[in-house]
Amino acid sequence: MTTLVETESLSTPKRVPGEPGAWIFILGDMCVFAVFFSVYLVQRAHDPELFARSQEQLNRNLGALNTIFLLMSSLLVVLAVRAVRQDAHRHLAPYLFVGAIVCGVCFVVVKAFEYHEKIAAGITPETNSFFMYYFVLTGVHLFHLVFGMGVLSVLWRLAKHENPSGLHLAFIEGGACFWHMVDLLWIVLFPLLFLVR
Amino acid sequence: MARRIEMDTALMKAALWTGVALVAAMIVSQGILMHFIGPPSPNLTAQELAQKFIARKGEIRVGCLVMCMFWCFWATWSMAITIFIRKMEKGYPILTYCSIALNGGGYVFFILIPMTWAVIAYRPETLDPAIMQIMNDWVWFDYLFTWPPFAAWMAIIGLAILKDHNLPTLYPRWVAYLNFWCAILIFPAGLIVFFKTGPFAYDGVGAFWIPFFIFFGWMVTMTVTTFQAIARRRLTLEAELDAAIEAEPSPSAL
Amino acid sequence: MSTLLRTPASVVWLVLVGATAVSWTLGTDNGLGPDTQRLAGIAILAIAFVKVRFIGLYFMELRDAPSVLRGFFELYCAAVGTLVLALFLFAH
Repeated sequence: MTTLVETESLSTPKRVPGEPGAWIFILGDMCVFAVFFSVYLVQRAHDPELFARSQEQLNRNLGALNTIFLLMSSLLVVLAVRAVRQDAHRHLAPYLFVGAIVCGVCFVVVKAFEYHEKIAAGITPETNSFFMYYFVLTGVHLFHLVFGMGVLSVLWRLAKHENPSGLHLAFIEGGACFWHMVDLLWIVLFPLLFLVR
Repeated sequence: MARRIEMDTALMKAALWTGVALVAAMIVSQGILMHFIGPPSPNLTAQELAQKFIARKGEIRVGCLVMCMFWCFWATWSMAITIFIRKMEKGYPILTYCSIALNGGGYVFFILIPMTWAVIAYRPETLDPAIMQIMNDWVWFDYLFTWPPFAAWMAIIGLAILKDHNLPTLYPRWVAYLNFWCAILIFPAGLIVFFKTGPFAYDGVGAFWIPFFIFFGWMVTMTVTTFQAIARRRLTLEAELDAAIEAEPSPSAL
Repeated sequence: MSTLLRTPASVVWLVLVGATAVSWTLGTDNGLGPDTQRLAGIAILAIAFVKVRFIGLYFMELRDAPSVLRGFFELYCAAVGTLVLALFLFAH
């Protein structure tokens, strides 16, 4: 049923990455975040001055650093999934997943430092409307990221199997797509909260 | 010689129906009687809040009696699903035991809600409004801030479904992913501790309405898919029983 | 290892990193007047949704997915991208 050797053919047959059920989760979550993005922008329009002023106090460098960490982790996940599919390279997959998890840990550390910086300066979710959205949106994203790291650790375990089953592969792909979603959401959140005014 | 399958489908279905009754009772008592679907704003003064309880004390008392009775059904409803978790996992039943533990605590949080409202409505005219305010805040925190055990159970259901070794599987796999998603979606209920106004206060869209609809929508979905699982399981058990009867050696002639 | 890297996704990754650098530069350049900042904002948001699309098509492998799934994702990028830009520019 499953050919574990990847063939780079010109006409790749259409297939659902992972399992259909996983896409309910991924697309649904993306829609929820789309609502968050919209609500933020509407609130911003009520007081653009306040939002612009408050935004200046965010640490853009740390935000950009976090974007790089997530992009790196996504690349490692892409490579890991490719590795799992190839008999010759499967042994590399667990290391690649670990690498992605490490990038995730770096993101968490930077985020913790960022939050600490704010709170030490007296800025909390209750300071004003902008900071409420900043803490809540990045907080909900962080929750997804930590959950995603849990998923990656499952993928790490599955990747250690000598002969992963079709179901294993489907779950690995689905889990990888969830991680890419976490990356994708930050790709929008970072400019939205940190950069545009 | 009639042999019966080992699952009592009538009792299993009855357990599921208790969950439906729980949701219906909530709509009637919390909503229609008490007007608490849509919490009162955390920003109300203690006096304004006290007025709400004094004005509707009769409806609140009756509503709470009803809700207390029907909300203990969380225990029975959740066990119907837990039985299937037992059937989906192999070996030592860790997920099953986690489910029992989580849900055994769950119904306590549930019935503390109407119990507390009832206590507030017991002597609302003479109770100090400041105390009523704390108790009311407490109820809404019990309602929302206690989301984690429920999210944990959703994740366990998802895990059990993905690891289901039965053929056919008891639940379709998308139900697992739906559970993971719902577990994440009720997280914002935890944000109520930070806000008294806005979308993440305990009367807000993000912290109350969305988790509220997600949670009870999830209960409805799990009820429907578990009814289907019962039907599916029954067919499998009957087929196994038929096969076992066929395989029995014919009685020897006397 | 190099065989693993030999895939379009690696090139896409370089593009994504480059785009991040561009957005960051546009977003932190503080000498800009309000009109230029709005233009910069438009560019940054547009770049963001192009990045989102790349991640979906190349990292999530939606390029080879059935039309329904890929179509939904493309629709998401277009619709949410447009909505975000519209709200950024016109909401009040």
